[in-house]
Amino acid sequence: MKWQVGLYVVAVLVPLVAFVVELFAGRILKRWNALIATGAIGLSFVLSLVGLASYFGNAEGVFAHHGAHAEASEHGDAHAAADDHAAPKADDHAAPKADDHAAPAEHGSSEGHASAVPPPPLIWSGEFNWVALGGDAMPGEARSRQSNIDLVIPFGVHIDNLTVIMFSMVTFIALLVHLYSMGYMRDDPRFPRFYTYLSLFCFSMLGLIVSKNVFMIFMFWELVGVCSYLLIGFWYEDKKNTDAANKAFITNRVGDVGMLLGLGLIWAYLGTFDIDEINRSILDASGRHNVAMVDGQEVVRLIAPAGEGAEAGKPLIEPATNLPRQIPLWLLTIAGLGIFAGCCGKSAQFPLHVWLPDAMAGPTPVSALIHAATMVAAGVYLVGRFFPLFTETALVCIAYTGGITLFVAASIAMVQSDYKKVLAYSTVSQLGFMMLGLGVGGRAAGLFHLVTHAFFKALLFLGAGSVYHSVHTYDMHALGGLQKKMRGTALTMLIATLAISGVPLFSGFYSKDAILASSIHFVFQEGRYEHILLFLLPAVGAAMTAFYMFRMWFLVFGGEARGFTPEQIAAHEAERAAHASAHHDDHAPGHAHHDDHGHDHATDDHGHAAAAHSHGHGHHFDPNPALHAHESEPLMLWPLYALAVLSLVAGYPLSILPIPGFHPILESLISYGEPIAAPDLGASHLLAMGASLVIAVVGIGAGFLFYSPWKQFRKLDPAWFARRYSWLNEFLHKKWYFDELYAFLLIRPTLALARGITWFDKRIVDGIVNGSAQATAALSRFEGFFDKVAIDGLVNAVARFTFGAGEQGRRLQTGKLRDYLMFLALAVVGLFAGLIAWVMGSGGNV
Amino acid sequence: MSDDLLLSLLWFLPFVGAMVVLLLPKESDKAIKGVSLGITLATFVLAILAYRTYVSSPTASASMIERSQNNSVKAYEEGGLATEVFENVPGRTSGEKDLLVRRPWIPYFNIQYYLGIDGISLSLVLLTGLVSTLACLASFSIEKSIKGYFALFLMLLGSMMGVFMSLDLVLFYVFFEVMLLPMYFLIAVWGGENREYAAIKFLLYTLFGSVFILVAILALYFGGGDSSVPVMINGAEFKGHTFDVVLLTQAMSADVSWYGRSIQQLIFVMFFIGFCVKLPSFPFHTWLPDAHVQAPTPISMILAGVLLKIGGYGLVRLAWPLAPAGAYDWSYPVAALGVFSILYGALAAMAQTDFKKLVAYSSVSHMGYCTLGMAVMNIADPRYYAYGVNGCMFMMIAHGITSTGMFFLVGVIYERTHTRDLKKLGGLLNLMPLYGAITILIFFGSMGLPGLCGFVAEVFVVLASFNYSPVLAVLAAAAVILTAGYILWTLQRVLLGAPGEATHHHPLPELTVRETIIAIPLVAFTVILGVFPQSLMSWMSPSVDESVRMVAKAVNRSGSDTAKKLAVVPPVVRPTPADAAAGE
Repeated sequence: MKWQVGLYVVAVLVPLVAFVVELFAGRILKRWNALIATGAIGLSFVLSLVGLASYFGNAEGVFAHHGAHAEASEHGDAHAAADDHAAPKADDHAAPKADDHAAPAEHGSSEGHASAVPPPPLIWSGEFNWVALGGDAMPGEARSRQSNIDLVIPFGVHIDNLTVIMFSMVTFIALLVHLYSMGYMRDDPRFPRFYTYLSLFCFSMLGLIVSKNVFMIFMFWELVGVCSYLLIGFWYEDKKNTDAANKAFITNRVGDVGMLLGLGLIWAYLGTFDIDEINRSILDASGRHNVAMVDGQEVVRLIAPAGEGAEAGKPLIEPATNLPRQIPLWLLTIAGLGIFAGCCGKSAQFPLHVWLPDAMAGPTPVSALIHAATMVAAGVYLVGRFFPLFTETALVCIAYTGGITLFVAASIAMVQSDYKKVLAYSTVSQLGFMMLGLGVGGRAAGLFHLVTHAFFKALLFLGAGSVYHSVHTYDMHALGGLQKKMRGTALTMLIATLAISGVPLFSGFYSKDAILASSIHFVFQEGRYEHILLFLLPAVGAAMTAFYMFRMWFLVFGGEARGFTPEQIAAHEAERAAHASAHHDDHAPGHAHHDDHGHDHATDDHGHAAAAHSHGHGHHFDPNPALHAHESEPLMLWPLYALAVLSLVAGYPLSILPIPGFHPILESLISYGEPIAAPDLGASHLLAMGASLVIAVVGIGAGFLFYSPWKQFRKLDPAWFARRYSWLNEFLHKKWYFDELYAFLLIRPTLALARGITWFDKRIVDGIVNGSAQATAALSRFEGFFDKVAIDGLVNAVARFTFGAGEQGRRLQTGKLRDYLMFLALAVVGLFAGLIAWVMGSGGNV
Repeated sequence: MSDDLLLSLLWFLPFVGAMVVLLLPKESDKAIKGVSLGITLATFVLAILAYRTYVSSPTASASMIERSQNNSVKAYEEGGLATEVFENVPGRTSGEKDLLVRRPWIPYFNIQYYLGIDGISLSLVLLTGLVSTLACLASFSIEKSIKGYFALFLMLLGSMMGVFMSLDLVLFYVFFEVMLLPMYFLIAVWGGENREYAAIKFLLYTLFGSVFILVAILALYFGGGDSSVPVMINGAEFKGHTFDVVLLTQAMSADVSWYGRSIQQLIFVMFFIGFCVKLPSFPFHTWLPDAHVQAPTPISMILAGVLLKIGGYGLVRLAWPLAPAGAYDWSYPVAALGVFSILYGALAAMAQTDFKKLVAYSSVSHMGYCTLGMAVMNIADPRYYAYGVNGCMFMMIAHGITSTGMFFLVGVIYERTHTRDLKKLGGLLNLMPLYGAITILIFFGSMGLPGLCGFVAEVFVVLASFNYSPVLAVLAAAAVILTAGYILWTLQRVLLGAPGEATHHHPLPELTVRETIIAIPLVAFTVILGVFPQSLMSWMSPSVDESVRMVAKAVNRSGSDTAKKLAVVPPVVRPTPADAAAGE
């Protein structure tokens, strides 16, 4: 095992250790919790940089993937050799031809195999058996074939180029968010607990990234989910927040059911959870699923991957059962869609996107870290990691899901008046872009956008936090003119806005361009004109993105401070009055018992009050908050600067000029060793670039026409449009009525069913139980009556005695015990009679 | 300590303890509590000793069949039924350190005093020891006639231990029935306002179930004998008329069957109904909410933590191994019933406003996973089935820990506020932070959060069921949404938000030291089992796997035609001859 594996294990575990320390010593450490958490993630970040450097220092042929010739001269010999290696592939020949082309010896390939498959990428991995059982359940002959045939669920780490990039990105943003929160959360009474949760999140997220198999990913998947739950409901005194937390967790669990379906099918048929193993062995040499016909059914087989010498291409056999490892094609599609359903939940894709906007109830640094940059991208990451699993049908579904999501979310973002909600919908929309990119075959493009988006969206959220910290409102109609008061925030936010809008020379341009190029290639060059929507949706969506982002920036930072409308102020006063009286009522008894029980409670009550105080409607209501805004402290500003730099440069190609065949460095790093050879996009890139420019101009232009602070540009009145198209405005304001629809279709029926079942349980099931007891009691009474009347004359005295004794017994028992026992006795007698009859009936020969 | 003595003491010591408690003067509260706690702890220590022996001694962890031969005390005499004479056979291995006790008890009927521990029973014996110790500590707040209470408590403990160790069906049945009486009185005397109804309901329900078990036992004793060829087991001819569980298990998977398919179906159904009542599974579950709501907190802990497991244990130890072909024929309806119970329990829990009832229904839901795990009989590749049964066993342990914790935590609040009404609670996380943290962890464990014990069990069962019936598996998986729903909703109503009505009128002190001591082991095991399931699996799963192998062998032997009869598509596509050739 390489030392780098250990390095990454340590980098993952450091935040866990910090979490445990903070959890148990939090009461002693108090505010020191923040330093421990920050130190831990800082250490992870440093380790991840070491890992990154070590990886790309050791990996051969990183830049060889596309346009190798342009770059070969700039790199060392090792790279040049690898360039040669990949050259045949860049020519986009059919597989057999490429085979001829790449004569093995020339390239010094030690394995001696040659094919269109690129050299296996550098991978560091290690694992141990977390659970291993079942081997003893096999019959002897299977055990004699192979001694150890346990069915194993391993734990392990898998480090490849995607992992190291994601790891560095996550630790970097997490570190910045930790620093930023020291300023942002300073006055929160649960400041230490905030950092405890953050440490747990960092551990879970990093664990998710380095997971070797999809089962582990599922575990960490839920763990990041629970961190998200805890942090969304961080201010849990307010029911609105805990509702949002519940919604987030439960919606994610809906996706997790799909994920379990995928896991179960993969495990049942392929007998492994290992992502890399499946990735390498599910495709044949031409990069397609290895389909065979078995019993008239299309079946995908695992085959020994190229590089296994003579074995390459042969089906893999499960040693315990001696059967080939295979799955019907349609089930593989379902398994892929199941895994994707999990990704839909985590990455807030239609139709499970509804939780993410509500999740904004959490503290803003959390929104930046978890709900913008890292956790919500995990779904995209998993689709990228497990890319070969998805069949063509599944990929088309993924692309359409992404397309619908990006369009729906962008349309809602255009009418939001809460700037944090704009960013939330924007996140959903951008995640849709990534999914679409992946779905149309642009694996590297989608993942590239994931990374650039992480930088500029984290920046946007942290900037929004900086604004909120200063003005204590999310209503952007009440703001304006903040660029004068908050220069640093305004400038960095502008950079992020330009990046997300796809303005050339900003990172977002390159990644969005890559996605568009993939979609153009998919639709036009491969002639799938029926899927034209997969081009139109991102094109329109990108224009909408530019529009709503500029709208937001203009409304918050441009022009003059507007302040709240008189109606809003009046409404606020009324609410505050109501709140104050309710508050008073609530707290009277609380105070009473804290008198009773000393000082422990005093702090808690105080904490509660303080939490409500700083994050509720606030005592210092300001009718024109933007007037009194101030720039945030350096602790909060420096993370913005750092992110601004990356938002600018993360997408740069080696040559700044967008010459044909250029490739952003980051995308090259991601596409190194891709499991599926990426299509040569060729002319699509130029088309995409043109389209991107047009789109950005249209979107930004619309933003200027509607919202620019300068009169000479502002030609259109948004209020007039809102009136003219009020139905559309209403529809978008109601977020396409998704919440209402789900309440009507899912939540209410479930609750009604739950109540129905309770009724059924109480009335029917228990009714039968109690009824049979009563019936037995009635039978015994009838028996008593029968005794008295029919056999009266003959055994009068005996009967009377029996009945009398019975009556006595009844009085003594006070309950229905006697009746029950009678029932029991009858049941026993009946059963025995039945059994005996049955035994006799079959001639004692059962 | 000789293992014969160890096993006997495990069940007998609590009974001795009960006698001692009864002899103590009524007024000496402390002595009664001290003696009870001491005896319970001693029993727990004995269980740990048994564990030490089991994991350290190869003779103890050998298969039960092997051990039973070393301990064989019987010899067949010529002629006649039920006339076997038991005598010590010189020259046999003495059976030391192998955790098996075997003595003739009623030789005329071939009834033995036969106790033994393997991985399956050991896990539950340990659980019983742990839960009883914690419940005993929790019982210290009982005020009403504590002498009777603790005497009954110890009798309950002894009989539960006996049930888990018995390898003779009559002995099992005796312990099974003896257990009911203390439970009945503990609910009927120390319970809540409607205790008598709940207690009698519990008693009669269980008696109703045990009738079926008795019928199954007698059918095993008298039935069978279809084959024309003599059935040879361990070098002797098998002729039925035995209550020996190990021998019967062997008989089921022997090369020639003594028990025909139809009698196995009958035996299975009888066992299944009987243990379903105890488990409980729909439609025999309605005693559970009543019993839980009325029982005092420590008894609820025992009830959920141990008593329900007796149902599951009976299924794992008796229903499946003693009627494998019958179980296979019934597996689909049984699996469907398991799934139905999971969903039904979860939905019912969602609609409850009584905190304790909610937890009770969650038990119905969780025990559904046990049924499902055992029923997913994929005989083609029994390793997946082994995951199902291991998941079932793991669920029993995990649920034993989390549900004990949940009932304890409900009890803590009930003691302070005298209400279980969820509408009146709220905001407790701020008032009692430690209580809140522990509650969140234990409830998450029950919800099946990865890293905590419930997850392992749930996921094993669900994954195993994909290899049996993807439709049932998806339904079972869908229950995780409902589970998350009712658990999170409960946490929200109890811990979060503004302080509820009930919190205004009652003092809400933080957990006391005694309460914290009870909670710590539960929290610790919730985490340990979730992170390192192999710490339990490593010594439990060999026994489970062996049992699965016997069942699979028996089913395969008794005819594969049933595979066609079932509406289950064997998920693994059979290889064509060409494939097989390619694979060589």
